[in-house]
Order: sequence, then C-alpha cells, then structure tokens
Amino acid sequence: MATANAWVGQSIKRKEDHRLLVGEGQYLPDIVLPRMVVMGFVRSIYAHAKITSIDTTQAAALPGVRAVLTGADVKHLGSVLSDMSTPNLPGETNRPIFWPLSIDEVKYVGDPLAVVVARDKYTLEDAIELVDVEYEPLDIVIDPEYALQADAPRLYPDWGDNVLYHQHIPAGDAEAAFAQADLVIKERFRCHRTGGQPMETRGCLATYNPGEGLTLWLTTQRPHIKRHLLAEYLNLPHSQVRVIMPKDMGGAFGTKAPLYREELMACHLAMKLRRPVKWIENRQESLMNVGQGRDQIHQLELALKKDGTILGLRDRILADCGDARTAIYVGFAMPFLGAMYLINGYDIPNVDIDLTCVVTNKACLTPSRAFGSFAGRFALDRAVEMAARALEIDPVEIRLKNAIKTFPHVSAVGVHVDSGDFPGSFAKACAALDYDNFRQEQSEAWQNGRYLGVGFSMGVEISGVPSEVLVPMERQPGFGVATVQFDAHGKVQVAEGDSPHGQGHETTIAQVVAGELGLSPEDIYVTYGDTHSGPFAAGTIGSRGASYTLSAAVLAARALRPKMANIAAHLLHIEAGEDDFVFRDGHAILTRDESQRVPIAKIAEVALLSPTELPPGMEAGLEHTSHFEAETAGMHSCNVHAAQVEVSPDTGEYKILRYVAVDDAGQPINPMVVRGQIHGGVAMGIGNACMEEFIYDENGQQLTTTLLDYHIPSSLDLPHIETIEHNVPSPHTPLGSKGKGEGTPGMVPAAVANAIEDALQPLGVKITDLPLTPERIWKLIQAAQSKD
Amino acid sequence: MKRSISITINGEVYEETVDQRLLLVDFIREVAGLTGTHVGCSVEGRCGACTVVLNGKAVKACLLLAVQADGASVLTIEGLAKDDALHPIQDGFWEKHGLQCGFCTPGLLMTLYEFLQNPKHSDEEIRTAMSGVICRCTGYVHIVEAVKHAIATVEALPPEERKEWFPV
Repeated sequence: MATANAWVGQSIKRKEDHRLLVGEGQYLPDIVLPRMVVMGFVRSIYAHAKITSIDTTQAAALPGVRAVLTGADVKHLGSVLSDMSTPNLPGETNRPIFWPLSIDEVKYVGDPLAVVVARDKYTLEDAIELVDVEYEPLDIVIDPEYALQADAPRLYPDWGDNVLYHQHIPAGDAEAAFAQADLVIKERFRCHRTGGQPMETRGCLATYNPGEGLTLWLTTQRPHIKRHLLAEYLNLPHSQVRVIMPKDMGGAFGTKAPLYREELMACHLAMKLRRPVKWIENRQESLMNVGQGRDQIHQLELALKKDGTILGLRDRILADCGDARTAIYVGFAMPFLGAMYLINGYDIPNVDIDLTCVVTNKACLTPSRAFGSFAGRFALDRAVEMAARALEIDPVEIRLKNAIKTFPHVSAVGVHVDSGDFPGSFAKACAALDYDNFRQEQSEAWQNGRYLGVGFSMGVEISGVPSEVLVPMERQPGFGVATVQFDAHGKVQVAEGDSPHGQGHETTIAQVVAGELGLSPEDIYVTYGDTHSGPFAAGTIGSRGASYTLSAAVLAARALRPKMANIAAHLLHIEAGEDDFVFRDGHAILTRDESQRVPIAKIAEVALLSPTELPPGMEAGLEHTSHFEAETAGMHSCNVHAAQVEVSPDTGEYKILRYVAVDDAGQPINPMVVRGQIHGGVAMGIGNACMEEFIYDENGQQLTTTLLDYHIPSSLDLPHIETIEHNVPSPHTPLGSKGKGEGTPGMVPAAVANAIEDALQPLGVKITDLPLTPERIWKLIQAAQSKD
Repeated sequence: MKRSISITINGEVYEETVDQRLLLVDFIREVAGLTGTHVGCSVEGRCGACTVVLNGKAVKACLLLAVQADGASVLTIEGLAKDDALHPIQDGFWEKHGLQCGFCTPGLLMTLYEFLQNPKHSDEEIRTAMSGVICRCTGYVHIVEAVKHAIATVEALPPEERKEWFPV
C-alpha cells in the first residue's frame, strides 16, 4: 500500500556534515600514494605566439625532477577531440585540433606547453621556472566582434574564419510580428566574462599498471563520462579505466564537468612513468583556465503591442568562446543552450535567433552555473523592463502579461516546461517587498534626494536535462540512476550514478529511501563517485539531483516492496501481498491487523543471511536498480526574484537593501538544503553580475589571476538573502520534486540592474552592460547628466 | 637549508627537521598529516581556507613559514571537538546547514573559534568577523545563523565549561 513519504519535507541535519566539521573529509589533495610524484605545467606568457624553442635541460637536471615533456612528446597521442567528445548540435561546427600540450603555437596566456614531474611540489616549482621557452609573438584577437572581421588573425587557419559554431533558430513569423508592432525595443547588451570558480581547484591523481589498467582520482562532476572518453583517447579498453571522484570535492558549479587537457596529461604520464602522478592546480592556473563563462553580446529586438504584449523577438548573439580547447563542451555548448533558453519564462510565439560562437586568444569558456543562459536572461529581462517604461506599464504587469500561463508549455523553440505558477510567485515577491506601497515611498525618497529602486526577474530553470535533449547535445543519457541494496543487517546502501559535492545527496536521498521503506535516514548510506562501484550516469549537472537521481532512488526502493511483502507474509505464515502491508517504523505491518508485523531488519536478514527461510523458489538478495527518465522532454522550476536597492548618484555605489527569491522546488525534500542552494546561487549571481570579471588587456594578458583581483564576494559584500517557497509539484517525478540551484545565478543580473535603473529613473540612465560596478553606474549617471 | 623545529598541534608535539621555505600549511597537512586544513588560493592569503589558531590567534597558515611557528601551539579543525562532543561552533554549523561542499569550513571554524571567545552579536559584526574566509556555496546566510546558534550555546555555558571549549 502506498504511504506518504514521512521524511519528505523534513529539514534534518545533513549526514555528510560530521566528517567535514571535524576535518575528516577526503578531498583530492588529501590522497597520497606510495611512489607518488607531482606534475606541473609550463604555461604560455603570450596570448598568441609561435614557440621557437623550449630548453628543458636545466629543469631536467635539477635533483628531484623525474621527467620533463613538451608538446612534441605527446603528438603521437593524437588530437583530443573526437565525435564522442564534441557536442553534436544542429548548427555549422568547426572543430579545433589540439593535444594535451600545445605544439609549436600557443593561443592564450596560460596555455600549457610543457609538463614537469618532480618528487615534491617545491622542487616542481623550481623546475618549472628553469624551463626556458622562446616565443615569436603573433597578432592576437581578443575582441569577439573583431574576431569576425576579415582581417582578424585566425586561431585555426584551416577554418578560414574564427567561427566555431553558427546556428539560426527561427520559429513562428518574426518578420510579421515586427511589422505589426506598436513599439520596438532595440538594444545591444553585453555580458562580461565571469563564472564558477569553486574554492577547491582542479586536481587529479593517476596510477597505471598493465593488469588493472588506469585508475584516476579526479575532481569531476561526471566520472562515468570521463571514463569512457579517457578510454577512447588513451586507446584503453573500457574495462581498464576506472575514474573515482573522491568522497568530497570543494565545489564545481560546472567547471569540473568538461574533460581537460591536464587530466589527459596526468594519465599519459602515469602510464609512461609507471608511478602515481598527482596534479593540484594552483589558484593562479585556475583563474587562467576555468570558470570563465558567460561572455556574450546580444543585439536584441523586441516587438510589442501598446498593451505590452510581446509579439516577437530577434536576437543576434555573439559568444566569445576563447580558444575552444576543452572536451565535451568545447566552449560552445553553453551559448547554444543559452540561445535555446533565451525566451525562458516568456511566451513569445515569433522568434528569430542567430547564434555565432567565435574563438579568441582567451581561455576556453567553461560551463558555469546557469549554463549559457546568464547573459541572455539579463538581456531579455532588461529589454522587457525598457519596454515597460516606454509603454508606462508596471514591470510586474508586463511580465505577468507575457509569462507562460498554462502548463505544460512548449516554447516557440521547443523547450518543454512542465509546471509553474508565475502569478503566485509574483504575488509573494510583491507582498514581501510591500510593492503596492513602494512607489509612494520611492517618489518621496526622490524628493529627499535618495534613490530607491525595485527590480524583478523571472525565470524557467532546468530541473535535470532529459535524454531527449542530452543525447543529441552531448551524446550522453539524461536518466537518473540508483541502486538500492539492503545489507544483511537491514541497513540500505544507495549507490547513485552522479557525484555530488555539496548538494546534500547523502541526506536527501537517504530521506526519500527511508520514507519509501519505512526506515530512518540513519539506516541509509549513499555511495557515489567510483565508476567501479556505482551505476552508469551522466553525472552531477543541470540540477538533476532532486529531479532525476533522487527519483531513481525512489523507484528502486518502491520496486523492493513486493518482495519485502512476500517475505513478510511468508514469515507470518499468511497469504498477503504488497498492498496488504505498510512499511513504517522499521516494520512491515499488516494493515488489516497491525499486531501482525515483521521487522524490516528480519526481512533483510532472511533475504541475505538465512535464505533458507525465504519462500520456496524465491531468489536471495534484496536490491534493485532503477533508471528514471521523465515522461516529458523537459522539467523546470519557475521562479521570481526581486531586488531592492539604494543608489548613491554621486559615486555610483549601491546597496542591495533586500533580495527576495521566490523559488519553486516542486516538493522540497529537505527545505533547509533547498534554501542553501538558493542562497548560494543568488550569491554567485550577485558576485558574477556585480563584482567579478575576468579581464584581459589589449595584449591578451589576463589581469585577474589572484583572488585579490578576481573578486569573489565575501560575507560583507552580500546582503541577507530572503527565500520564499512557492512550490508547484512536478507531475513527472514520483514525489513531485524538482532540481534546484543550478539556474539560480541567472535570476540575478536583471533583477539588480532593473532595480538600479529604476532607482535612477529621475536621472534617465540605461543599463546595457555588465558587470554592475559602481564605476560603470557612475559613468552612466555622468553621461545621462551631460546629455541634459 | 634545513632547520629543526618543534610545533605543538592539537596538543601533540611534532619535532621535525624541515626546509626553511616549507609553509606552515604544508607542515600541518604533509608533515603532521592533518589534512582537515585546506588550501584554496595560491598562497596569496585571500581564500582563508587554511586558517588555523596559532597561540590563540586565527592566522592564515599559507602566509607563514613552518619555522616561524617554531615553539608555537597550533589548533586545527581536528582539535576542536572533545572526543565525540562537537565544539559549539561545529554544532552551530551542523544545526543551521552552514556548509555545503565543506572546503572553506575549516578556515571558517578556526576564524570563528577566536571570535567566539569574545563574541559580538549583530549581523554586521558577525559578517565582519568571517570576511577573511571566502565561501562559494552558501551565500553566508546560514553561516550567520550558525554563528548565532554557537554564540547562544557558548553564552549559556557556565564559565568553567565555557573555558574548556577554548583551551588556546
């Protein structure tokens, strides 16, 4: 008999926390093996140059150095990208050819061109300094618009241009929509280069012996995917490659999803040297290479009727993908998905989107939380705000007029949105901000020389990505998978195919499995990360934990109940099946006579320790693996965020007085964990939108390679973030749960920018570019005033 | 150049001969094997994950050489709990979900260990106290709640018991 899951909705303390709080977490840098050596890279100091010579003699002669390799030593490995490791998208695609180390030519500052192996990291640092590289600088291309020009230097001369990917996405009749428009908003929006940057940098530890093959401990979100790509690249049988994400990992936010050149290098060296090779990226390398996301220009046009109805949208998107030399995403999967999600929570029937992704002499774009959609959502929600102002319609009203109203909804470009409630979310956001009275307060403030503003954004965020999307996009499945396995003592191991690193799976999966089986979360232990002990899945990406993976665990647990009931009936010497029992308080309880009960631990004991007591003919064991795939091409969470700011017109400084996030988790499993995900997503959004930026100078030198220069927000930089639940259970998951957290940063830039512009209405500034630094706001104020 | 030094970590004495350039954080992690202390930046001192308590003061162990800590007493995250009883700051983080990936947590706990000996109560003061450690996961909201929880626990303790939680 189906019973409500007693542990769903409980904010219990996390099971993973104890070890982390006492310093017993196991992160990659903590793993040490006998005979281990350490690896480090010599990286380009030029944005684009010919390598004329590399002299490794001094480095190789330093005591303690075990090997020095250059690009020539890895050329035989072949180019990194294959069909399997390149996105398979409908547009025109160019594919760069490259190796784990650059050969003859470097293409960005930080490009690895030689590798040193030493007995310890101090010797390693000394040796890296001793590698003498001579360069002949080449012309560079840093600006993506310049990259499109005929006279721009070419990163990959065989392409004929610098275009990595191009796709035209038309739907409906945009031309007719614009012909009928009462108002056209046309604006150029620029989103800078910013993104993830987790607190733990990348790292790996590779070992090899011909018997077992390769074992790679790796900071990764997707061990199974890395495994099959490593096997392909290194020409090893799949049975000879094992990838392990350590028990703990210090964040990822998308940056640990691609396959990187450095990881391939560590594997190759472990095979060549026949000893464990460890690599820990330092922060400078990390800021040179990963977490660089967003970076798009949108030439966006919006056609509206007088009443605020959006008739159509045109957008020319230009994405700066850097050198495009990482596998799986290759720098352009993110802008592609961003283009597909551009219209997002708006119901816009006629669109004409043209996406061009170019290569430049910068680091390759890496995925970052809000995968590809951060820039576009800023652009569209800004354009809608401008339209509202031009038409003198309230910003909430214009959004409600154009928001998706009926669910399920299929967007003009084919994105399926299963469930949500924008009016309800807006109502809660407005109530929290006392929006009805705010306009009065605002005009009084203006009269007193104070500039207060409110800004809104709305969004449809991915709740996992189904196979229907992921297979064509990345040649990977979207299903969630979990094995639920009783041990002989009535405790339950859940092995999942993903590799969580802060999202709280050990707790939330334990909660739902406990609830399905009548146990306590203390009885459940969740394992993950090792390709040799967990089922195959695509990894921890795209908010799929609470949507796909957790649902698989629920289904697997449910699948055990008929067998548990049969064993219980047999032990009670009665005729009964699953529908006659409830599973509660650690017991299988006969519903018609609750005194008839069997401890679940006894059922497990019979299934595993004493199978002689099983019903005749029943197979021993009590375990099941489920693959969950939603019966829809897309599940989403629909959210509304609002910011209230006060701006100083003299300095451009502003303070976020309130930040209200109204979020839809479907059915939260652990509301405290959900709140944590939203807080973190908003914090990253504020950091990315307001203060973080990867800056390249005119020579392509990266100026932000320490955390002093690349400013991740501290506790003093962020407001208190208020979270409000507005949950619409997904009809497609067994518990109604939705994934949360991945898309959250995408809500922030428009909410804050709209608030700042709203505050400065009397001065007439127009915000089109990110980041929202006080300097930028001050310049906009100056420009607006000089116009008067 | 090597030098013989003696550092007491969590009450245990480590007498070692080390390179003079060895960082304190590497002494803690690699010589003493206490990997609860983390490294999150290129020893520029900004991330704060390596924060430990040295002679009663929270310091960033990546900005000190091991030889500078010769004769000192160091407390790391491994030394906070007493047997199975968690320190009030650890307990606060657990109760209020003050951590996600846990990588910055050691630095925050050791920073707040010093703060809790003479705590201040406003959000602004709590946020100021922890501003030397970057957390990328939580947005700090639950950490502020965790600190308030810890302050309440500590202030409710009798003076002797309270002192026991702050041995250095």
